Amino acid sequence: MAERRPDRPLGPGHDEFWGWCAAGELRLQRCSVCGHLSWPAVADACERCDSTELTWERMSGLGTVVSACTFARDYFRDTFPIPWDTILVELDEGALLISDPVGFTRDDIGPAMRVAVTFIECEDSAGPFRLPVFAPA
Amino acid sequence: MADESAAGVVVPPDEALSRVVAIVGVGHTDYAADYAASRSGDPGHEAPDDDSLCLAAFEAALADSGLTRDDVDGLSLSNMYGGADLEATAARLGIEPTYAVRTGGLMAGLIPAATVALAEGRCDTLALVYSAASRSIGRVFGGASHTNMGRHSYSYYHPWGWSSQAAHWAMMFDHYEREYGATEADLAHVAITVREHAGRNPHAIMRAPLTVDDYLASRYIVAPMHLFDMCLVNDGGVCVILRRADMTADLPHPPVLVAGWGSDRIHHSKMHFMVRERLRPQLQEAAAQTFAMSGLDLGDVGHFQAYDASTIHLVNQLEGTGFVAPGEGLEFAKAGEMRLGGSLPTNTSGGLLSEAYMHGWNHVVEAVRQLRHEAGDRQVAGVGASLYSLATTDEAFPVLFTRPEV
Repeated sequence: MAERRPDRPLGPGHDEFWGWCAAGELRLQRCSVCGHLSWPAVADACERCDSTELTWERMSGLGTVVSACTFARDYFRDTFPIPWDTILVELDEGALLISDPVGFTRDDIGPAMRVAVTFIECEDSAGPFRLPVFAPA
Repeated sequence: MADESAAGVVVPPDEALSRVVAIVGVGHTDYAADYAASRSGDPGHEAPDDDSLCLAAFEAALADSGLTRDDVDGLSLSNMYGGADLEATAARLGIEPTYAVRTGGLMAGLIPAATVALAEGRCDTLALVYSAASRSIGRVFGGASHTNMGRHSYSYYHPWGWSSQAAHWAMMFDHYEREYGATEADLAHVAITVREHAGRNPHAIMRAPLTVDDYLASRYIVAPMHLFDMCLVNDGGVCVILRRADMTADLPHPPVLVAGWGSDRIHHSKMHFMVRERLRPQLQEAAAQTFAMSGLDLGDVGHFQAYDASTIHLVNQLEGTGFVAPGEGLEFAKAGEMRLGGSLPTNTSGGLLSEAYMHGWNHVVEAVRQLRHEAGDRQVAGVGASLYSLATTDEAFPVLFTRPEV
């Protein structure tokens, strides 16, 4: 059953990102001019050099946990079980993604812990979607 | 907990504008009394609104300055959450400004912008007026009511359950712990030091001494951040009156000169610069601009007033500005160097953590009191230059204030 989540940001760039997630692929926009990966998604121009030469590059899905935090305060009123862990993952390609841990908690995170992307079935007010999260690699 | 919607005003530093404008008056509402009243549950308590907060702060600053309403010909209005328009506010304050602007609210770039207005002759005496009825309006700082705030905002991460300003500080400090082997008990010393300073400030909301045990026993908001790592939520107003420095000879207090400023922001890769760098490149750049404009350097600074939306963010600014090396800020705090009598007394009125959450405005008031040498039993002996630092999760806006002889 799909997990109810707060609304995704939608619009140019974001729609494409979620479309790739629906296909089970983690893709980010790579700039052909400066090589930078823009994240969160941009509408049409590289966040670093403003070039519009962007391609949706498939990521390896592998990365390292850089930081984490645990919500004791329930900002979303019964949407998430509290305490709720979130992580910051550095993809091997370099981008830093805020995400959720699956199959481990913040207490389990050791130095340079390796993780791999997986997708979970979710829904928000715009409908069903697949959310990229990370499990131990 | 800075709101990202309230971005600062970018004014390029200019050596020709150093020390041409002075702060001549400061005033604010009674933070502690308003906080106590709002918490008392007294049905007779009338919650303050923006208009009443602005008027009270303005009247206090005007009295402090020794000027009259007729002297004030400029208005810079910063209502954080609503409030009356410029015309209505000017009428309520009883002034007829020839120059009037409305700004975002955060004390970020407003003094540089006011300095330019004064230097260009748009007015001679300018009142910067701020209010925020954060507690009375029930302001919340995260969750589903904050949506579509853009790709740099925490609202982008709501599908993963990541929200609030507190979450930013938590991600920063969790990383700091992993990087430097620091602990929550180490971070406690920042909260304890700022609280100790608040204990010497009759205007501060939270004055009771804090211990490491109190800190560790307090609830988490977003772990590893405890309640005592987070700024207060209260109602208040602040007014700062600026005047051309060549018109300050007959005033009751020594003028506090605007000696320099700078600014920089994160342009891309926000999570990298925010969590891993803790804004060090931005803080370094903004500080370099500030010192170049003023002709002074880090070693001249005897007092530091930094935006302590959280304990770790105060450490970020101490380290990022260059007072201590990255990873050494908590040892600096534990060694007492941030305390009165230490090498860099920091947030001596109690800051956002313990005095009042006034979006950086109360920090400027304290810098003025210190540089006038009227801070009583929390006075930094002989201080001549005070660095004010407003850094959000994206931007850095330092301003250097000096006494006339510095």
